[in-house]
Amino acid sequence: MRWDSWFKRRHWEGQMDAEFRFHLESQINDYVTQGLGREAAESRARREFGALELAKDECRDQRPVEWLGQIFRDASYACRSLRKNPGFAAAAVVTLALGIGANTAIFSVVHSVLLKPLPYSQPDEIYSIEVVIPERRSQFASLPVTVQAYLEWRKAETAFAEMSALRPWECSLTGDGEPERLGGARVSANFFSLLGVPIARGRGFSVEEEQPGNERVVVISDALWRRRYGADPALIGKSINVNGESHLVVGIAPPSLPVPTGTLLHPFLAFAPRIDLWKPIAVTQRELKNENWDHGLLVRLRAGENPEHGRQQLQAILNALIRAHMPGIKTELIAQLVPIREIYAGKVRLRLLLILAASALLLLTACVNIANLFLARMASRAGEFATRIALGAGRARILSHTLTETTLLAMLGGGLGAVIAKYGAGLLATYGPDDVRLLAGTPLNLPVFLFAMSASLATGIVCGIFPAWQAYRKDAATGLQEGARTAFGGGRAARFRQVLVGVEIALGTVLLASAGLLLHSFVKVMRADRGYQVERVLAVDLSLFGQGYSRGETRIAFYRELAGNVRALPGILGAGAISDLPASGTSGASQTIFHATDTNFQNMVLARPVAMVRSVTTGYFAASGSALRAGRFFTDPEQVLVAVVSESLANCLWPGEAPAAVVGRTLRGGNVTGPLITVCGVVEDVRPGAVDRELLALMYRPHDQWASGPMTLVVRTAQEPAALAPAVRAEIRKMDPNLPIPAIRTMREIVSSSVAQRRFQMMLTSLFAFVALLLGAVGVYGVVSYSVACRTRDIGLRIALGAASSDVVRWVLSHGMRPVLIGILAGLCGTIAAAKALRSLLFGIAPGDPVSLVAVTLVLLLTSGLACYLPARRAARLDPMISLRHG
Amino acid sequence: MSRHETTAPGDAKLLQGTLDMLILKVAALRPIHGYAMVQRIQQISKDALHIRQGSLYPALYRLENRGWLKSEWKTTEDGREAKYYSLTKAGRQQLDAETAGWKRLCEAIALVLETGE
Repeated sequence: MRWDSWFKRRHWEGQMDAEFRFHLESQINDYVTQGLGREAAESRARREFGALELAKDECRDQRPVEWLGQIFRDASYACRSLRKNPGFAAAAVVTLALGIGANTAIFSVVHSVLLKPLPYSQPDEIYSIEVVIPERRSQFASLPVTVQAYLEWRKAETAFAEMSALRPWECSLTGDGEPERLGGARVSANFFSLLGVPIARGRGFSVEEEQPGNERVVVISDALWRRRYGADPALIGKSINVNGESHLVVGIAPPSLPVPTGTLLHPFLAFAPRIDLWKPIAVTQRELKNENWDHGLLVRLRAGENPEHGRQQLQAILNALIRAHMPGIKTELIAQLVPIREIYAGKVRLRLLLILAASALLLLTACVNIANLFLARMASRAGEFATRIALGAGRARILSHTLTETTLLAMLGGGLGAVIAKYGAGLLATYGPDDVRLLAGTPLNLPVFLFAMSASLATGIVCGIFPAWQAYRKDAATGLQEGARTAFGGGRAARFRQVLVGVEIALGTVLLASAGLLLHSFVKVMRADRGYQVERVLAVDLSLFGQGYSRGETRIAFYRELAGNVRALPGILGAGAISDLPASGTSGASQTIFHATDTNFQNMVLARPVAMVRSVTTGYFAASGSALRAGRFFTDPEQVLVAVVSESLANCLWPGEAPAAVVGRTLRGGNVTGPLITVCGVVEDVRPGAVDRELLALMYRPHDQWASGPMTLVVRTAQEPAALAPAVRAEIRKMDPNLPIPAIRTMREIVSSSVAQRRFQMMLTSLFAFVALLLGAVGVYGVVSYSVACRTRDIGLRIALGAASSDVVRWVLSHGMRPVLIGILAGLCGTIAAAKALRSLLFGIAPGDPVSLVAVTLVLLLTSGLACYLPARRAARLDPMISLRHG
Repeated sequence: MSRHETTAPGDAKLLQGTLDMLILKVAALRPIHGYAMVQRIQQISKDALHIRQGSLYPALYRLENRGWLKSEWKTTEDGREAKYYSLTKAGRQQLDAETAGWKRLCEAIALVLETGE
């Protein structure tokens, strides 16, 4: 408000005061003249005048003001009215702050993950490319690309301006301090220029560095540069020791640059959760001989080009390449473009939107709750409202008063909610799953602020519209006749409040039932049989590098000796190593598996299954707890080439045959010309930690026959595994003090982090559902208490006439629970409809899962039953004499 | 209109807008302040109409706001400052219209009552 208008208002108020004073003084003077004492005259005059402040308020309402002033007046009226009721105001503000805060926090995550443009130049032009082999679709929805296809595509003139391949690169950093295991990526030289982000310091890679022999240069992340090298600018141009080889640091990547991590780019490409080092891809002749579908590919479309046109170009080149290579093959490969936004958002979109929906439901519940509180309070102010209407305040004015009051509350709630959102979004970004954490940035930016503002406004209107409507409809005369108590508490208004409670319970039921379904799924996931032991198992990733391990035999001997030493430790039941933990999913080498009788590669390659190949040391199966179906595990040493196959692989190769019949059969891996391998055992199938994916067809090979690079040591313990981690670490140290040892994790942790998304979803939905349940209980309690208060006389009469207290309790309960029961029923119907959206997030249960729904119904009944019982008990204890006299 | 509702001893309830009409009527004679207005209405109606004083002022402010009344501060006979209300041109038209309407209503009611007997 401007100063001059403030003065105007002071002046106006002064005049009004003077006028009222004049009136009272005249009256008092008259009474004194009539012979009354001064004091008696004063009190009589005041009594006859009626409520002075109320009259002043009414006059203020009549004051002609401009539109803005009107809002100010309503706001100041609202402030006054809220100040009179600080408890109510505080409860409402806190409720709304929680609702708006939760929504804003979730929205800030949704905004940064799903809406905000990625921090690349022209991010809409960037795509990832995958290949689909139609004949393999049932097993692999898509595949990464081969290095041959990548090189062929890059050579051709297409709709794409740039292409950059990338693949995971595990790094051990040694030499300058504590040895460390880091996540890295091998990338084409143009990786950073494709993304369009300038290197923060130094330079990116040059084309020459893609030549074998020139590739030992790295760009390191800003985080690693600060953490390990103290942000020393002189690091550029120096060499660091990565995987036992000296690499020249040429540049520092820009800070907080999002790049595909984990399996975001493709399920078969397992990048580390953080990428700290980048090194150019230099394709060697040896790599060109093998055809491995193990490169991710990012491309940038030329400005103005049609992506579909580019896709067809790539597809034609790919199929020509395959034909040239294998003339007899009968398949048409499909090249697939995935917008880069989908890489980050695709997997979390549904989850995030459902969480946003859940938080919106929570806010709606809070709104209904506030509306209900307002109605209750209006009941106690019924006289005031009726007077205002009768005075001709105008129904529109009453409506705007109520709306101003709720909007003011919502704005206060929104302000507090923004603070909650700031911390909440921070928590979400810290504890959310990796793909949320990756992009969730600064929470309070303009779109988020606008969201919070509009959420607050909408909240204010939704909260106020029901009470305002009630007040609007209210007939002034009946309001006055009915008297303050029943005007808004009895009759139609009471029914209206019951309807609101029903709505509140219905919303709460939807939330709670969704949470129940997610929780039950989560329990099922955690309890699912994965084909390996989860409890009391430790795992640690190891990577041998450097001169000492250049020969395969030394690596084989290392793991053999290490496993033996660890097994000898007290409290350890078994130890062995595997190339890729089953919990980590679909990464690692894979081969097409042929029958021994197959002779034509090109005819058979698409007919035979592809298996992930795992290299294991003896003792691995005992340590992991996988059950043998037939045959035997590996012994050391094996006389001939052997393999243990998973049940699903055995079933693909020899459909319909019992595991025992498979033992002793022979197969070939990779090609029909490969050496014969004998199946010595069939082992149960394993599922990745997150369980919800397909079973993996697996072929296990003894480590000394199929030496792999990095291995994971798996240790099974008799007791709590974490306590033995230091002993295992000491054992590794003893064998090689320079080996970087990452944190030793329990299998439970690994599995648990692989279900992080599911847990995130379940926890947030449960939290919202819990708050909604509380709000619902408060709503029920409020309405029942109020109706008991209104019927004190009635109840007193019943008791006086001999009703037992149990009758009173039953009477109150049956009244109070009616809207609850209807609400629960409606909510359950809503849930079954909403569960269609949830279906893909459920595991092992149907959307109509009776266990969850019954449990939820019981929780709701108990909670609202308690909320009804408390006022019912109070009613039953009424003293009939007192209630009849005062009721 | 209810709480300022003007209850006569005989419990006659006044219709909405009646208070406005009375105020306009009283203010039409000469400029008058709020307190005198209350006295005057009671006096003219021979104490049959009793106005809740607190309700008078909001009505005055509203009528002024609509442009039917104007006000000025003047000194009373006993030397005090008081706010005097008088009718505007629009107020006079309004009063005429309301009086005419009121008379029509009364005649209509009387007609109904007589026919009913």
